[in-house]
Amino acid sequence: MSDDAALVNGQSECALRLTLNGAERTITVPVERTAADLLRDDLRLTGTRIGCSRGVCGACVALVDGVPAATCSMFAFQLDGCDVQTIEGLAQEGKLHPVQQAFVEQGAFQCGYCTSGMILLTKALLEQHPRPDRATITEWISSNVCRCTGYAQIIAAVEQAAARLAGEEKT
Amino acid sequence: MSPQGPAHKRQLGDETGRDLAATASPALQVVGRSAPRKDALEKVTGSAQYTTDIVLPGMLHAKVLRSARAHARIESIDTGAARQVPGVHRVVTGADIPQHIVPFYGYFIKDQPIVALNKVRYVGDIVCAVAAETEAAAIAALRLVQVTYEDLPVAGDIEQALADDACALFDEAPMGVVPTYGDGASAQLRPRKNVCFQFNYRTGDATAFARCDHVFEDEFRFSRMTHYHLEPFVSVADVRGDAMQVWASCQNPFPLRKELARMFKVPENRITVHVPYVGGGFGAKNNVKTEAVSVLLSMLTGRPVRFCLTMEEGFLTNTQHAAILRLKTGVMADGRLVARQSEILLDAGAYSDGSPLVTEKAGYRIPGLYRWEHIDTACLCVMTNTAPAGPFRGFGGTQTSWASESQIDMIARRLGIDPYAMRMRNLLKLGDPFVPGESGIDSDLREGLDLVCKEVGYHQRTHDTSGTVRRGMGISIGFKDGGGVSKPAQARVKVSTSGDVFLQCGTVEIGQGARTALSQITAEILGVPLDKVSYAPINTDYLPFDQGTNASSGIAVMGQAIERAANGVRDQILAFAASQLGVDSSALQLGNGAVLQGGTPHPLAPMVMRHYGGTGFEFSADGFFKAAGDRHAPLEAPCVFWEIGWGAAEVLVDTATGKVTVLKLVASGDAGRAINPLMLKGQEDGAAVMGLAQALFEHMIYDNQGRLINADPLTYRVPLAEDLPLDFVTITQEQGHGPGPFGAKGAGEGTILPIASAIANAIHDAVGVRITRLPITPVRVLEA
Repeated sequence: MSDDAALVNGQSECALRLTLNGAERTITVPVERTAADLLRDDLRLTGTRIGCSRGVCGACVALVDGVPAATCSMFAFQLDGCDVQTIEGLAQEGKLHPVQQAFVEQGAFQCGYCTSGMILLTKALLEQHPRPDRATITEWISSNVCRCTGYAQIIAAVEQAAARLAGEEKT
Repeated sequence: MSPQGPAHKRQLGDETGRDLAATASPALQVVGRSAPRKDALEKVTGSAQYTTDIVLPGMLHAKVLRSARAHARIESIDTGAARQVPGVHRVVTGADIPQHIVPFYGYFIKDQPIVALNKVRYVGDIVCAVAAETEAAAIAALRLVQVTYEDLPVAGDIEQALADDACALFDEAPMGVVPTYGDGASAQLRPRKNVCFQFNYRTGDATAFARCDHVFEDEFRFSRMTHYHLEPFVSVADVRGDAMQVWASCQNPFPLRKELARMFKVPENRITVHVPYVGGGFGAKNNVKTEAVSVLLSMLTGRPVRFCLTMEEGFLTNTQHAAILRLKTGVMADGRLVARQSEILLDAGAYSDGSPLVTEKAGYRIPGLYRWEHIDTACLCVMTNTAPAGPFRGFGGTQTSWASESQIDMIARRLGIDPYAMRMRNLLKLGDPFVPGESGIDSDLREGLDLVCKEVGYHQRTHDTSGTVRRGMGISIGFKDGGGVSKPAQARVKVSTSGDVFLQCGTVEIGQGARTALSQITAEILGVPLDKVSYAPINTDYLPFDQGTNASSGIAVMGQAIERAANGVRDQILAFAASQLGVDSSALQLGNGAVLQGGTPHPLAPMVMRHYGGTGFEFSADGFFKAAGDRHAPLEAPCVFWEIGWGAAEVLVDTATGKVTVLKLVASGDAGRAINPLMLKGQEDGAAVMGLAQALFEHMIYDNQGRLINADPLTYRVPLAEDLPLDFVTITQEQGHGPGPFGAKGAGEGTILPIASAIANAIHDAVGVRITRLPITPVRVLEA
């Protein structure tokens, strides 16, 4: 048994109840399992990417109770009782979410490895700031790393998604 | 849909700013349009599969022990306790590598061991590898490995490595080869201690210096970045009997196959390399990285083995080349350039990797795009006790553009000539050979320079010297010879009974948009919509051979092979249809997914099934392209295309703090023809921002004892959205002189090249001081 087990009352495993992409789930995991490993290895939701494993790059971002969280740097048991959304839960009935659609149309990704995190980050941003100004977009997007695009097209995608969600089609 | 971002301006040669799609020849239906990427749906829904996502039944996990010593002889390794850890299947040290395996890899020089054999040469060198049921078990085992070392003197940087009393990294010269060269170029292996490769180029007469009015000697220092691809180095190997399958995050699967075959004594036709989507590479993912360890452990355990590095390990696996560049340049008083002698010292790190090739290219590119009477270059590849350097976007051109375009500016100011006028006077003209025996420059360099000058307002700039914050502007033209050296490309295009198109080639989708752009070229030639073309997954058993996804060769080199394959299959279909319809094939063409006879469409399927039977048929053609060799071309063959990056910057410099603020950054490349303007802009943006980061802050900080100080993702600073200049503009030129399909050239590296020098030149313009060392930190500005 690892030292970490002490964090969960001396148990080596714990049972989590969470809402994952809208569905209630009860999952038993080793206490030392990270949230990212739970999603990727146990649940095969591999759209959550692992880049730096240090909570820096943001490729592993999921929305936990609507807030972007670096799942590589939290334990799976911290998801107990939470509403968790991953990239796999965004498109509904085969229809892309407006943020996904904007990323496609603005060319806001290349290798695609940061894209899940960037899209979820954008979704959270637009829920808090439906019509963000450029400074707000830059501040939020600066919490994740994209090594390919140089960010201009990501910023354009955020602006387009904001306009779409607000009902104003961007020209 | 608008393909234009807010800060993006399009530019054609005539400067009218018309939209590219609208101005594309009316005959073009698919090329020149910003079609959504073919991989878009997978990448925005998370379903795109990368090598990190590959899981095989019974798969073990590898981890390695890395040296904390920069240079030491291994005295003993005790793995006894490690072997007892539950879940551990195999522990491998240098002594455990089976005798029949050749344990070294490298490009020109085979010097890097799979696992250290008797000494370690840098902090991060692999000492011991473990395969276990989980990564955690492997790490637990590695903690129990006991190693004793005898420390050796450390060559922590270029100057230490070249000192007379430096300790040699290699006691004997490793096996290596030197390419054949043409007029003026030569190279040798290990010309002196701790130099693994030297490239020389010379043309014209050295007496030219004696005729110059002035000779200026300047030295420049170039920093070192790590690629920071977000998908780690990762592979999964599955060795079964005499055959193996390897899934790898890799830019060049066929050369990887060849290297693994050589090392593990397995025929190439018993090795299958699969490459799923690659989560960024920027040059790092060429040749063996994790694959030798995963293959070795799979061979020894009989189980599939996954080896995935952490980002910290990635920092220690491959980097850009730090450099010292010394330029001696002779000019006339009126600004005419005459002669340049240069010595370039590249820091190769502890193993040669791609360094000899980078050495060749840096040595070749140092003259810049100017007319010279005499060029004399020596470029040395120096081995140090630091992480191995290798291919990095720009590939030596970033180093040379930094030094050359800084010195051109310095000389202009010393002579009292405007840096713009100095460049305009000396730039090569469209069609001029770069050097004797080379191909002609395929862009109008002056046109591009005028474009970025106009965008930044260079000629209207004013200098207010009253306050402590000063404003200035700088310009630069970086370049590289693009498309690789004499690089062959092969492609296959097939068309099914129902007219569905299969494109098969080895270009890896690494983010650059190869699947989309190469499919657009195919669709255009075959007269079908883009969604009729599929792009085959990368599997070395089925695809035509390819040397690798590098050197901006996708469009300009592979694109030409695809063009030929698509033309070939089109001709087959038209000849077949002509025979079925009883007409001459010249009366037919492909369009709207059918065979057109005048205005009458003839669907393909009924004709095929009538002739070949109801089960159908496939038309198939191969295409091949390789630049013809020429012994007068210095590098075996004339360059396929010239990749050029024009840059302009406007900066504010605070003379009290040394802080530099980039107000406006303009970067421009010439695509020849943009196959997909939106994707192209993304490439040019990304390269420019990488250049911006290198200019101002991003660098690996080594102490002089071979220790990387900022060796983790938090302290190694990469650019974020907040680092973008207030005004950031990339301009896509389509001058139309490219050798590729529809006049295209390669792209994706050009705009990293001019940025650092444009910013240094702007700082000089603002405050009259010259920064010759990257990155340009406030401290260095204050000290200058």
